[in-house]
Amino acid sequence: MKSAAKYLVACAALAVSWAPIYWMVTIALKREIDQFASPPLWFAFTLTWEHFHDAFFVRSFGREMANSAVVAGGSTVAALLLGVPAAYGLARLQWPGSLGERVGFWILSTRMLPPIVTIVPLFLMMRELRLLNSLLGLALVYTAFNLPFVVWMMRGFFDEIPRELEEAAMVDGETRLGALLRVVLPLSRPGLAATAVFCLIVAWNEFLFALILSQTDASITLPVGIASRVTQYKIEWGSMSAAGVVAMLPVLIFAAAVQKHLVRGLSLGAVKG
Amino acid sequence: MSVVLEDIVKRFGNTVAVDHISLAVEPGEFVVLLGPSGCGKSTLLRIVAGLEAPESGAVRVDGRDVTALEPRDRDLAMVFQNYALYPHMSVAGNIGYPLRVRKRPQAEIDAEVLKVAAKLGLAELLNRRPKELSGGQRQRVALARAIIRRPKAFLMDEPLSNLDARLRVETRFELKHLQHELGAATLYVTHDQAEAMTLAHRIAVMRDGRVLQFDTPFNIYNRPANLFVAGFLGSPSMNFIGLPGNGTTLGVRPEDVEISPVPFEKGQPATVYAAEEMGNETFIRISLPAGERLTARVAADVRPDFDAPVWYRFRAGRTHLFDTKTTEAIQ
Repeated sequence: MKSAAKYLVACAALAVSWAPIYWMVTIALKREIDQFASPPLWFAFTLTWEHFHDAFFVRSFGREMANSAVVAGGSTVAALLLGVPAAYGLARLQWPGSLGERVGFWILSTRMLPPIVTIVPLFLMMRELRLLNSLLGLALVYTAFNLPFVVWMMRGFFDEIPRELEEAAMVDGETRLGALLRVVLPLSRPGLAATAVFCLIVAWNEFLFALILSQTDASITLPVGIASRVTQYKIEWGSMSAAGVVAMLPVLIFAAAVQKHLVRGLSLGAVKG
Repeated sequence: MSVVLEDIVKRFGNTVAVDHISLAVEPGEFVVLLGPSGCGKSTLLRIVAGLEAPESGAVRVDGRDVTALEPRDRDLAMVFQNYALYPHMSVAGNIGYPLRVRKRPQAEIDAEVLKVAAKLGLAELLNRRPKELSGGQRQRVALARAIIRRPKAFLMDEPLSNLDARLRVETRFELKHLQHELGAATLYVTHDQAEAMTLAHRIAVMRDGRVLQFDTPFNIYNRPANLFVAGFLGSPSMNFIGLPGNGTTLGVRPEDVEISPVPFEKGQPATVYAAEEMGNETFIRISLPAGERLTARVAADVRPDFDAPVWYRFRAGRTHLFDTKTTEAIQ
C-alpha cells in the first residue's frame, strides 16, 4: 500500500513534468487547424511533418542550430581547457596562507550576481572588440560564464583522487604535468564528462546573452531563433515546436550518456567529508 | 648508496614539524623512523622523497645534494601506506610504470615485470586491476613497483599498517629478507615498535620533530637515552618509580622484576593487583605499599590470585636511572 502511494506520487510528478513536453511534441506534429481545437486533441489528430519541413528547410532553424552547436561546443572546450588546470591548481598546489580559498571563492562569486547586470558592460565591451553578432563573441561570454562551474566541479573531483597517486607517479619519474596527464586526468574522466555535458547544456539553452549580443540572421542561436518566431502578426507555434523538439534531442542524448556521472558530480562531497 | 640528512627544518604555519634533524642512512642500512603520530617522521620521509621542501637543511643521496631536485630526479622509490596503486592500470602496468616513464624498450619492461612479479609471487595476477586484489597482494604490487627500477634507496611510509596482524608479521619477515637481498639503503617510517625492533639496523626514535635517540634496536631497548624512549619501546612498557628526595626516576622493565610468592633475598612485599595470562607468559600487576603499581613479566605457570601477598625485587644491574626534570638518562 505504501509503495503504491509512492508510485502514485511519482507518476503525478512525472505527468506534471512531461505535460509541456508532450504538448510541444504534439503541436509539432499537428496541423495548424488542430493545434487550438477545443476541446484539445490529446491523442487523435492527423499527423503532419510540415512544421519540421518548414522549420528546417523554409526557415533558418538549421543554421541557427549549427550556430548553437559551434558556440556551445567551442565554449565548452575553452572552459575546460582553462578551468581544468585552474581547478587542479586550487585542489593541489600550496597557496600562501588562505589565498587558495580566497581565489576559489572569488571565482565562485562571479556566479553570485544575476547575469542581467553584466549585460550592459558586456555589450559595450563586445562592441569595442567588434565581436557583436559573432559566434566568437558569444562563445567567449559562455566560456566566462561556465568557467567558475568547471573550476568548482573539477576541483571537487580532483579532491576525491588520493594525493598519494600523484606523489607515487612523481617519485616513479613523472613531472607534475605528466602525473596530471597520465594519472589524474584518466581517473577524473567521469568528472570531465559530467562537467563537459553541464557546460554544453547551459550554453546550448542560453537565451539572454544570445538575444542581446547577436541579432543578425547569420549569428543568432537556436533559442533566440525559436523565440523570434513570435512575430507581430502571428505566433508560429508549429515550427517553433518542431525546432524545440529537435533542440531537445542532443541535450537528452548527452544527459543520458553521462547520467550516472552527472548524479555523482552533483552530489559530490555528500558522502565523503 | 647512502642517504644523508643535514640539519633539516620544516614548519607548517607555526608548528615545527621537523626541528633540526641530522641523520645518515649508510649504504645497505635499514633505518626506521619510529614515533607517535604527529612526531614529524612522515614529513621527514616526504622531505627525503622531494614531496615536501625543507625550510633549511640539505638532503644528500650518494653524496649528491638533491635538496632542490624534483622527486623524479632523486632516484628513490617510495612505498605508501595506502599503496597508491594506479587504479586504471593492471598489475603489470603498475609494476612496469617506473620503467615506462623512463621510456625503456617495451621488451625490457616486460621482462623486468615478469622477473619482479615472480620474485614477489605476483606472476598469476599480472592482468588484474588493483581493486581485484587483496590487501596483501596490493602491498606486494607496491613493493614490486618500488624495486623494479633498482633505485638508490627505498622510502617506506608505514607500508604494513593496513595489513591484518598475522599478515603483517609474515610480511615483516619477507620485507627484511628482501631488503637484505637488494642491499639498498632503506628509510622506513612506523609507529609500531615491533616493526622497528625487528626490521631496523638502527632506529631513530622521534618526538615533536626531534630525534631523541638514534641507535641499534639493542641499545635503544637496553640503554634508552631518556624517559620517552624508555617508555615508548617495550611491551608491556617500562615501570617508572619516582625516587623521593633526589629528583630522579628509576626505570625497570617488566622482565627485570622478579616475583616470589614467599619472601626471598632482598625481596620487598607487595600485593597482586591483577594478572594477565598470555599463554606463553604472564604479566602481573602488583601494588606496592606506597600505592605505586609495577608490571612484572613472569613464566606462564605463575597464576597468583587477586590481592595475594608477593615479594618482588629488581634484577641486579638491570635498572635505569633518569633525571626527572630533564628526563635524560643518568649513566
